[in-house]
Amino acid sequence: MANRVPIRTTSSALIAMIADEDTITGFLLAGVGNVDLRRTTNYLIVDSKTTVKQIEDAFKEFTTREDIAIVLISQYVANMIRFLVDSYNKPIPAILEIPSKDHPYDPAHDSVLSRVKYLFSTESVASGRR
Amino acid sequence: MESSKNGRESNEEISEKDENILSFLDSMDTYLTLMDSLSSTLRQGWLELASARHSMGASRINSTLLDLKFHRASTTLQVNEQSAGPDRELPHFTLRKWASSNNPEKNFEEAKFGEDELLKIKSNSLRRRDTSQSSEIQARSPESVGTPVSVDDLAQRERSKSLSMFGTLVSPKLRASQVSFETGTVATLFI
Repeated sequence: MANRVPIRTTSSALIAMIADEDTITGFLLAGVGNVDLRRTTNYLIVDSKTTVKQIEDAFKEFTTREDIAIVLISQYVANMIRFLVDSYNKPIPAILEIPSKDHPYDPAHDSVLSRVKYLFSTESVASGRR
Repeated sequence: MESSKNGRESNEEISEKDENILSFLDSMDTYLTLMDSLSSTLRQGWLELASARHSMGASRINSTLLDLKFHRASTTLQVNEQSAGPDRELPHFTLRKWASSNNPEKNFEEAKFGEDELLKIKSNSLRRRDTSQSSEIQARSPESVGTPVSVDDLAQRERSKSLSMFGTLVSPKLRASQVSFETGTVATLFI
């Protein structure tokens, strides 16, 4: 009971996005975009001029905001901050790696499948030792 | 006697573990299938967006036109707790599409009045790090509280509002792209 992480409940949480221009444009057309009074958005457009530091800062900001429930991040962008994404372990906001226009989905780099692979390889090592 | 009883218990434990592993592998298969579905939906959306850009011109569809004035998201999520065992809880997401973003109080009333209009798709989160849960997807059909016509109008109004950042007259491809990305948003929730 002491280790239970409380789930933050909310009635109107946002979907944040860190992706390329076309993906962001598309999801904004779907009504996901939010701009608050301080002109803070729930998305970051990643292009050739975007630095890794900017992506890291955006990821950290979106994962600590209380009004965000899901963070969509393009897989190739997640690869740039792989250490940060893999070390993230909270249930909310949930992180989902999505494909991008120029970089199709690669199961080998998916963090969920990587953990599954590690789990099974550990188990196979453990069973081999018995 | 005791050793056979212990043997039976260990067999039961092993079969329970096998069941858990099979269930886990089924979840992984579902995850990969949904990711594939999301990829194809997004691909369609990108293609339609590119077609719209080709017909309307690159200057009419780009990130500089994105609305940076204060506005709330029309598509939001409701997050609740769902019990998954004695000491475990999972987040439970409900998608709310095309709620009015203008007036929050009015939005609340309209949500009560037109809660039927917002298609609620409930799913269990798959992003728990242990990835051992399978997702159940329910689509609840709207309850009729208000007149359906006015509620559909609301959704159409919000859709038009999203499209308006690219001008009054937009290509049908852009509208198609909007629908594709709406479907993609729903698909992300399923995942």
